Amino acid sequence: MKFIHAADLHLDSPFLGLTTLPSSLLATVRQSTFAAATRIFDRALAEHVDFVVLAGDLFDRSEQSVAAQAFLFQQFQRLDDAQIPVLISFGNHDYAADQRQAVAYPTNVTTFGPKVGTKTLTLVSGETVSVSGFSYPERWVTTDPMADFPDHAQTDWHIGLLHGAVATGSVDHYAPFTIDELLAKRYDYWALGHIHHRQLLNEQPPILYAGNPQGRSINETGTKGAYLVTNQQGKLVPEFFETGVVDWETPIVQLTATTLSELSEQVATWLADHPATKPTLTAMTVELGTALVESISTDWLSLFQKTHQRQMKASQRFVIRLDVTAPAVTLVAPQLDQVYWDQGATTVFTTANEEQLFGKLAQNPALAAWFEQPATRARLQVLAEQNLRQVMGEVGHDVS
Amino acid sequence: MYLNQLMIYGFGKFHDRTFDLTTGLNVVVGPNEAGKSTLTQFITAVLFGFPTKKHPELRYEPLDGSRFGGEITFTQKQTRYLVTRTDGPHGGTVTLRDLTNALTLPSASLPHLLEPVDEALFTSTYVMNEPRLGTVFSASKQELIDRLRHVGAIGSDFWLNQAQTLGKQADELYKPQGRNPILNQQLQEHQELTAKLAKAKAAYGTYWDFLRQQETQRQQQGVLQQKLDQQRQITAQLERQAASWPTFVQWQQLAQRQPLTTTGFTRKDATELERLTSRTTAMAASLKADQNKLQRLQQGAKVTPLFTQYLAATTQVDPLFEQLTTVKAANETCNQLRANQRDYQQRATAIEQQYASTGQMPRPFSLATHQQVKRLQKKLMAANQKRRQLQQELNRLNEDYRQAQPTRRQHSNPLADKQLGWLAAGLVILIGAMFLPGTIFKLIGALCGVAIGYYGVFIVDGETPASRQLQDLTESIRDIQAQLREGGQQEDALTNQLEAVGDSYGLGQIPVEQWSAAQTAIGEWEHLTQQLQQTAEQLTAQTQTISDFQIAIDQALPELQHQPLTNVLQQLAGLQVMRQALGSQQTELTTVADDLQRTQHTLRQTQQAEETFLRTRNLTTVDDFYRYYQQIREQDNQLAQQQALASQLGVTMRTALQQYATQAELIGVVQQAQHQQQALQGQLDTLTTSLATLAGQLDQLTASGTQAVLQQKLANLEARMTATAQTWLANNLTRQWIAATLAAASGDRLPQIVTQASEFYGKLTENRYTEIELTPNTLRVRLATGEWREVSQLSRGTAEQLDLAVKLAFAVIMNQRVGMPLVIDDGLVNFDEHRRQAAYALLAEIGKTVQVIFLTADVTVNAIAGNLIRLTD
Repeated sequence: MKFIHAADLHLDSPFLGLTTLPSSLLATVRQSTFAAATRIFDRALAEHVDFVVLAGDLFDRSEQSVAAQAFLFQQFQRLDDAQIPVLISFGNHDYAADQRQAVAYPTNVTTFGPKVGTKTLTLVSGETVSVSGFSYPERWVTTDPMADFPDHAQTDWHIGLLHGAVATGSVDHYAPFTIDELLAKRYDYWALGHIHHRQLLNEQPPILYAGNPQGRSINETGTKGAYLVTNQQGKLVPEFFETGVVDWETPIVQLTATTLSELSEQVATWLADHPATKPTLTAMTVELGTALVESISTDWLSLFQKTHQRQMKASQRFVIRLDVTAPAVTLVAPQLDQVYWDQGATTVFTTANEEQLFGKLAQNPALAAWFEQPATRARLQVLAEQNLRQVMGEVGHDVS
Repeated sequence: MYLNQLMIYGFGKFHDRTFDLTTGLNVVVGPNEAGKSTLTQFITAVLFGFPTKKHPELRYEPLDGSRFGGEITFTQKQTRYLVTRTDGPHGGTVTLRDLTNALTLPSASLPHLLEPVDEALFTSTYVMNEPRLGTVFSASKQELIDRLRHVGAIGSDFWLNQAQTLGKQADELYKPQGRNPILNQQLQEHQELTAKLAKAKAAYGTYWDFLRQQETQRQQQGVLQQKLDQQRQITAQLERQAASWPTFVQWQQLAQRQPLTTTGFTRKDATELERLTSRTTAMAASLKADQNKLQRLQQGAKVTPLFTQYLAATTQVDPLFEQLTTVKAANETCNQLRANQRDYQQRATAIEQQYASTGQMPRPFSLATHQQVKRLQKKLMAANQKRRQLQQELNRLNEDYRQAQPTRRQHSNPLADKQLGWLAAGLVILIGAMFLPGTIFKLIGALCGVAIGYYGVFIVDGETPASRQLQDLTESIRDIQAQLREGGQQEDALTNQLEAVGDSYGLGQIPVEQWSAAQTAIGEWEHLTQQLQQTAEQLTAQTQTISDFQIAIDQALPELQHQPLTNVLQQLAGLQVMRQALGSQQTELTTVADDLQRTQHTLRQTQQAEETFLRTRNLTTVDDFYRYYQQIREQDNQLAQQQALASQLGVTMRTALQQYATQAELIGVVQQAQHQQQALQGQLDTLTTSLATLAGQLDQLTASGTQAVLQQKLANLEARMTATAQTWLANNLTRQWIAATLAAASGDRLPQIVTQASEFYGKLTENRYTEIELTPNTLRVRLATGEWREVSQLSRGTAEQLDLAVKLAFAVIMNQRVGMPLVIDDGLVNFDEHRRQAAYALLAEIGKTVQVIFLTADVTVNAIAGNLIRLTD
């Protein structure tokens, strides 16, 4: 009894939050979701697993990617040739509402319907396995699907396949469930999908998010991969294996630079000292002991990227963002009382004012989505403070 | 900041005029039209620029045509500056010199030096004249705040500057109505990219369509391929069949040959026959030699031809000598038997002539019949005897009756007639009964007739006693007659029985009396017949013996053919004698004859063997055998050839080929199959091409990557857009924050200004009013009595005093931040004397901290301390 649990392949979906990317990396990035998924299927073939379960979000329906579909056909065919069944429950990104998929996957592929279904497999070893799951009929599944899952079947093993999130009690759009409910089914394994960061919700039986096999944004850091689950003394034990082609990292680096040229040098040195094992998109936060005498302009980073291509390539780290923080200086303007700044802040940093300022930009969906994120507005205030600090620095400079 | 010196080159009515000013209060006294307002305007114009030529009344260009403009020396932060402004574009040509450090500064530095005061602020706040003093009343709190914000906070010029910079930066990033700023461009690009992406995504539908087509066509391809494979097999099979056709035809022809009898014609048989014939030939040759030899010998020995013949057939003839006696006896017996035969024949013919009149001999009686006939004859004889007796009796009685008859005639009795009638009836019946067939019926009929007759005679007749005797007689007659009739009947019965017997034995023609003799004759005839038969049989046997003998003789000795037996027998006897005579002599002839005999014997045997050999094979001659033998060998060869062909063809092929009548038909089928195969191949090729095209199209769709590139581009663009928007927002927010903070800070100074103004206002109004308060829209003042007055309720003078108080307070409070001379151009015209003096006192006090340039027509102003300049000078 051996299978692979993977989820959230998000094939052919773009990397988010990248402003520029060298062309050498662009191809790698573009192929990364495919390459990572291929590693999963390669492993399945190499290990001669009994089956593969995919817990949703194989691709993004909204992307309508031909490449993703073609890839799935090709890979499923590979597994079919090796007689490895594939069980899929579609999630919120590849929900089944779109009836476009007129051509069925190869016969080894079982896709669960909108109602919870159970597929029983008989393995080469003679063991029997039930796999229960369902596919999202549309973008949201707001009800707890647990009641529809059957109890442990009369098979040797029973595995639950679920794309969803633990219920929070408020706005749950993704098949909300509780761990106790899952445990109550007495399954041998719960293969979860939806959360891109892999995590173990329960030790034994394992209730586990596989995470996505390839990080696609700054929030998806760390090693990415899937799980090879094997029977060890009657228990199913998941073993993580890495598949990510491109990593994301958000290192916090303490530097001593006081000028931009120093900063540039020190960052380059740090890159040389911390080479990555694979292409790594690095969003650095530089902590400085003292504030820079110069302000960092918006295009400083792109200039750095252009001038340090070789160093970045050598260390396999591509700096996609560089945030510089200096020790917090209380906002004491030379001539203005802190009280006034605070008073000013209360009138400026209000939702109404910010939204008014944002104005027509809200018409752009991407910007609107960004603006609606709670972190955005906090970030804006931080940036404003940085602006002020910079201005004050200039004041000081002028004064001195 | 304060002004040190004003040097007018030419401005309004002034030309080449210099005014030296002190840091404190400077009082410029002059009557109306002396140029007080011109001087005020000169200060504003040199510091902030000449008004445009659109407003020539405000430009104060010199009336005498001297050089337009002038210069002002001022001290700012312990540095003396000289600013010169002469006529020129954009508000005049400016030169700026740092006199302290002896530096020439760019003219653009002038506004910076004056910051945050600009022309508007200067004219509204620092320059006061009579009409302007009134404007304050329309000022709202917000206006005041705005004015305050402008200069109200320390360093606000810097902050405002920064805010402006941020604003500019932000505007470079994005303008809601703009086109060129980065974000605007990015938004445009985003729109374009989104459109492109949507276009690229259209391939998605095409992809699925292609995929569906591919699947369908693949299925078709599979089916076609299978069909083609089948067709290929069929075609190949048919082609093989076509290739095998000549062989098949050959095989078929061979198979059609009629098979010949195959037994007894083997090589062994041929060898056997060879052996037999050669032996026969050898024997025949040997015989010939022997015969020649014998002939030679016979010629020497003078032997009869018969004997010579005999010698040639001794083996046949010798056994016949033994039969000679038997044959002789048989010949005699034959003659004897023929004599007997004739005798028997004669006798039998005599008997036949006697009894077999119909040509058929009666049969002899059996023993039972013989006795029955005897008994019947006896009974018949007895019956005849009795009849005769009864006839005699009847005759007698009839005689008696005739005698008694006459009496009876007299009495004609009706009954007698009756009697006669009955009798007649009885007779009729009796006689009628005779005609009845069968004895029993005759008897019954007779009895009936008798009974009736009897009734008539005795019953009827007996009625009359008179005829009793007659009646008795009649009765007797009748009785006799009855007996007679009975006897007759009996006879008839017997006769009939006899006749029946005679008929059944063929004695119908012979009277019964002769039957006995006939029986004897019949017995004899039968005996004769038997003997004749026996004799004939014996004769046949003997004749057979003789004829057999004769045939044998005829065969052996042809010379004796057609000669009578006795002659033959004599000849044979002669031969026997001669043989015995010759046999006693040991001659060469006998040896030769013996040899000849042996040879003959052997020859016969071999010939017989040869005959048997041929007969068993249903043949007559040896040549036949060889012909057959040759044919069968040929047939065997053909059979072998056929079998070889059959195995070459195989059962399946033969069965398959048997379906076709002609080669043409087969070729037709082959061609049809080939055509079908070609058609299928064509279809498959088309489909394969189509599939290849599809695969190519799919590959192109799959590999184009356009969509992915666009997607990533869009994601990157969005990231950049977000970054830009973020910076823009942050900048704007910072700008807003600075403004808000400045407002807050200024707002803090307002109470100071109000307090200061209240104080000044109190002084100006000789404490009639004690307090000024800012309301959201305007100001109100409090009387010493505690009453509140709206500005509109104040008299013009009091209102102007309020405005002066506020402005002075502003200048004083703001002096910490901005040092700007106060220019008061006859602002106190509406003040009464007391208040004017109070105002002077106040100005003098203020003059200690702020440079005040007070222009007035009031000559009494001399009383106040300060630099006094008389325009009339």
